[in-house]
Parts: sequence; C-alpha cells; structure tokens
Amino acid sequence: MRTRLAIVILAVAPVWAHHAFQAEFDDKKPVTLTGKVTDMEWINPHAWIHIDVVGPDGKVTNWMVECGSPNIMLRRGFTKRSLEVGTELTIQGYQAKNGQNKANGSNVTFKDGKKLFVGGSNPDIPEDQKQ
Amino acid sequence: MWQTGSIGAEPAGQSVVEGGPIPYKPEKLAKKKENYENRRTNDPEAKCYMPGVPRANYMPYPFQIVQSPKGILMVYEFASANRFVNMGKPQEAGSDTWMGTNNGKWEGDTLVVDVTGLNGLAWFDRAGDYASNNLHVVERYTRTDPYHIRYEATIEDPSVFTKPWKISMPLYKVVDKNAQLLDFKCVEFSEELLYGQFKKQTSSTK
Amino acid sequence: MRIRLVASFLLAAGAVSFGQAPAKWTAPKTAWGDPDLEGIWPGNMGVPMQRPEALGTRATLTEQEFAQKEEAAKKQAIADSQSTVASDSRVGIGPPSYWTERGVPTKQTSLIVDPPNGRLPALTAAEIKLRKEARGGKGFPGEWRGEAESYADLNIYYRCITRGVLGSVIPVVYNNGNQILQMPGYVIFRNEMIHESRVIPLDGRPHLSQDIRLYMGDPRGHWEGNTLVVETTNFTDSDAIGSNGAGYPGDPGHHSAELKLTERFTRVSANTINYQATIDDPKTWTRPWTILIELKRNDNYQLLEYACHEGNVAMGDILSGARAEEAAKVTK
Repeated sequence: MRTRLAIVILAVAPVWAHHAFQAEFDDKKPVTLTGKVTDMEWINPHAWIHIDVVGPDGKVTNWMVECGSPNIMLRRGFTKRSLEVGTELTIQGYQAKNGQNKANGSNVTFKDGKKLFVGGSNPDIPEDQKQ
Repeated sequence: MWQTGSIGAEPAGQSVVEGGPIPYKPEKLAKKKENYENRRTNDPEAKCYMPGVPRANYMPYPFQIVQSPKGILMVYEFASANRFVNMGKPQEAGSDTWMGTNNGKWEGDTLVVDVTGLNGLAWFDRAGDYASNNLHVVERYTRTDPYHIRYEATIEDPSVFTKPWKISMPLYKVVDKNAQLLDFKCVEFSEELLYGQFKKQTSSTK
Repeated sequence: MRIRLVASFLLAAGAVSFGQAPAKWTAPKTAWGDPDLEGIWPGNMGVPMQRPEALGTRATLTEQEFAQKEEAAKKQAIADSQSTVASDSRVGIGPPSYWTERGVPTKQTSLIVDPPNGRLPALTAAEIKLRKEARGGKGFPGEWRGEAESYADLNIYYRCITRGVLGSVIPVVYNNGNQILQMPGYVIFRNEMIHESRVIPLDGRPHLSQDIRLYMGDPRGHWEGNTLVVETTNFTDSDAIGSNGAGYPGDPGHHSAELKLTERFTRVSANTINYQATIDDPKTWTRPWTILIELKRNDNYQLLEYACHEGNVAMGDILSGARAEEAAKVTK
C-alpha cells in the first residue's frame, strides 16, 4: 500500500525544460571524451563547453558539449571565470544526430573524478522558513 | 532588397555621435565594413537578437521606464528585451549577457547607469558598428522638461576603439492616449533566415 | 564533499503551510497606498498540474504522504550533492542531472484546485477536432514526437518565442524567477524564463482592439481589497498552457484566442503570495478551471538573463539531425 501511494504522489515528471534532448542527440552513439577546455560559453538555453580531444592518431578535434542553463550555476556562486582554459575534463554523453562533434554532457568530471560545478553556495532558501 | 521595395531601405539620419566619426582602431575597421556589407543577414536585429546597450534605447520602437522603490526596469518592445537597473550596491557580472549588468545611481536629477558584462555580440546600429565584450557604457538620463529626456552614453572598448566616444540624443515621451507597449516578438520573422537551410526540402520548398 | 544542498533542503522542510494567513500580520502598503507585492517570488517546482485520480478531492497530502515526498526529495538532494559520479549511474541524454533547481516539497496535491478533483475539465468537441486536424493532421506542436521537418514543427518554447502567460509562471526544473515591481498606476510582473515583463496598468483603461493579438495577451489590473486582479485577453491562437508552452500528456496544451485569463495575486503573509489563475475558454474547455501557485519570497534570488533565441543552437541541430537521419535511410 505504501509503495503504491509513493508512486502516485511523486509523479511529477522532471521534464527537462527547453528541448527534448532525444531530438538532438543519438542514443545509439554513446561517447566518452577526454580533453582540455578551450572555452566555455555561459549562454542560454544551454551552456556549451568546448574541449580539444586528442585522438589515437594524435589528431586534435574540438568538441562542443551541451550542459544545462548556466543561470543555476551562476546563482550558486560560479562565474564565467570558474572553469579555466586548459582544465582537463571527461565527458560522458551521446553524439549529435547530425554527426557534428557535439555531445550532451550527462556526466562531466575533472581528472580526479569530481563532478564539474557540484555544490556551490545555495541562495535558494526562502526568506522565512515558517511561512 | 527589391522584394520589400522602399520598406527595406534605410533612409539617412544625422549622426548622434559627438565630435566626429566613431574612433575605430585602424585594424578594426575591416570588420565594420564586413558587417555593413552583410547587414541584411548578419545584423543581430535581423535575427531578432536582443539589441544590447545603447542600441535598445534608439530603436524605432517604444520602451518604458519603470521606476520602483526596488530599482528601475527598462522594458523594450523589440524582442521583449528588458534590463533591470540595480540601484543598490553595485553588482558584478557573473557572465556576459546581451543587455548587460546595469548598476545605477542618482547624481542630482540625472540617472547614471554603468553597464558592464555586455557580450559584444550586439551592434550599435544598422550600419554594422560594433564592439567586443570589453565594452563599457555609462549612460546619463536627464529629464529636461515633462516630455523629453536628454540621453547621453559614453562608450569605451579599448580592444576596438582608440578612445572613448559619446552619443547624445533626446528621448521623446509618447503622449498618445492610453499609450502602452505592444510586444514585437520577432523570432518567427527570423527563423527562415536562421534555419531555412535545415528544413526538409519538398517540391514546394525547393 | 559539499553537503550544503542537503542542509538547505532540511532547513526549508518546515515550510509546509498552505494557504492560511497567520493572525496579527498587516498587509503592507507602498508609499502611494497600493498593497505592497514588491519583491522576488521564485516558483517552487514539485506540484503536478493535475492531481493523481487516487487522491480524489484532497487538496493536501496527509502527513504520511508528505513524509514520503520529503524522503524522496532528501534522497535526491543527497544524490545531487555527490561530488563524484556513482559507479552504477546511467549516462543520460540530457544535461548533468544536478543542474536543476528542484524546489522544496509542499503538501499541495495539484496546481489545479478547481474543479474539485484537481483535474482538467473535458475538452470541447470542437477543440478535440482542432487538436487532431491542426496543421494538416499533424496536430499542434507539443513535445517532440520525432518530427522535425521545419522549425514550425517544434513548440513555441523550443523556438524560444515565449512560454505564454501561465507557462512563464508554472514552476519547472529551473529559472523560476518572478519579480514584482510597482509604481503608481502599474504593477509589473517579470518572469525569468523567457525574460517577460508584463506591464499591467491599473487605471481602468479599456483593452486593446480585438484586432490586436499578443502571445502574452493584454492585461488590465485592479485591486479588490488586498488582491491584485488581472484580466488578460487578446491572446493569439498559437498559445498553449503548460510548463513548456507545449501540449503533452498531463499538460493543458493549446487554448483558443478567446481565452479570458483572470489572475489573483494575494499576499497572505510577509513571505507568501497566493497566485491563482482562472482559465475561462469555453471554446477549449467545457468549464473554467483554476490553478493555485504558492509563491515564496526570496530576495536573494537573482533573476538572470535567459537569452533563449540568441543561443538556440539546438534548433539548428534538431533540424539538421533529422535531415541526417533521412539521408542515412535513403542510402541504406
């Protein structure tokens, strides 16, 4: 009985705002990319991290990685200066359907495995908890 | 251009720039020329992008200045752009935006707005004048009589210009009965320009 | 490891009161005598549009049900604040899952508070037909259904045109910033996503001519005691009601240009505005219906620019991706 209630109540689909990612990325093309940051665009609706990925042949390809809205991160105290050029990142996601060097960044981590921009200060607390 | 007849044409207007031409660094003029030559497709206004500062204030569409105890909001018809002027302790821009980070204060009866954090992607006008994301604009709004504001803006961007330069113009109060802003949500007019090449080609679209 | 997200959630967990004005609070006034609604009032995600049928006419969760909801939210907050990726984590096709502003659990069972079952009234026969036959049988653009022949196949939010009046205030996964500013004769209701500023005149002037149609309609406000009542008309026929401005299962979807929207903003305490909206559109729904959104004050919340269209790389990618898939089918 308890379990059934739980399913009923918690049925708020966390619908990703803006677009359906399935329309842009191909779930048959998973990618894992490791590379150095060349740029980060703090733009909406999605921030983009650009990284230089060195292939097995030594060739460098620049990839664009789609993240969420940067406003969340800015409110948590991160700024456009928070990700330095040259930082090494590992990205897990799926490649764009149009075959370009673009992927979504489902997991974005540093070399030591820590997630990019996790934490930060939280201004999301309402003024008065009681009311 | 022939497709819109004289509607798509740009008549002359006298310059609002004080003291001569915009002082570009010589090597930065080529980009302005390129902008101008491709303005029908490259002007961010054609793409319905937000116009930035100071362009938003002198587009041919009305805007409204809302003065509240909490700060000042400028609401523009074009592209539903707006910007909130913080009248408290100045805040720094966390990231670059189209309408900038606006910090304001009063100097006597003049509203002074310091605008930073502009992304350098907006143009100044339809002639392709541009700047970079080092752009810094200081605006001054002085009401000279019930129906006019003298609007001045000092523009500096050491990456693009040899020195700061200034524009100055009157803003005219709209005195129509029941005047109100009407949205100019122009995205739909820009989609063919931006995405037409990606549409599915059928016999009717070829 | 940062556990701030978890801590702040636990702090906020006490905030459960729903709709009751406490004693001894006097509604403040602006300097010119209007009820004072100024401030930043971000939306709080977590209340579904429609009430699960099993809950019947219950507008609030029981303590037990609420405890379960809080438990799930706590687990989510812990997961969000994990500094490394869990070894069993699934790689999804969206952004990093913690790039979200999840909000604080409340006891409200649905945004819809009328009809009493918290669910949408039936559509009219004409609207059912319209939704089926629109755009040559494709139907109105809603959530992406696999079709992307043109930008017109995507909904008006994906196209970054607007989320509409209600879509801009119904809380979603992030950017639920709302700001209210006032000056004599006006109230301004500003929404963060997608940078709408509704300038609402209070002087009793007539609506615009019926020939002028706006995505955000044409609002007119007046005070009834301490409640700001805003009546909005002059909508287009391309609008929809929903968290994405789209129509998908559970969401109200397309409404007609004849919608008359009545919003009521009532500040019930220092830090709560009850926002109610009644949707009266007899062409679309067989009876009016009403939603209630509790808006909690947070003046530390910064509304940031959401330049949607300017950065809409996804639109080009979605269309070119569809073209690439079509081409691949042809060459197979």
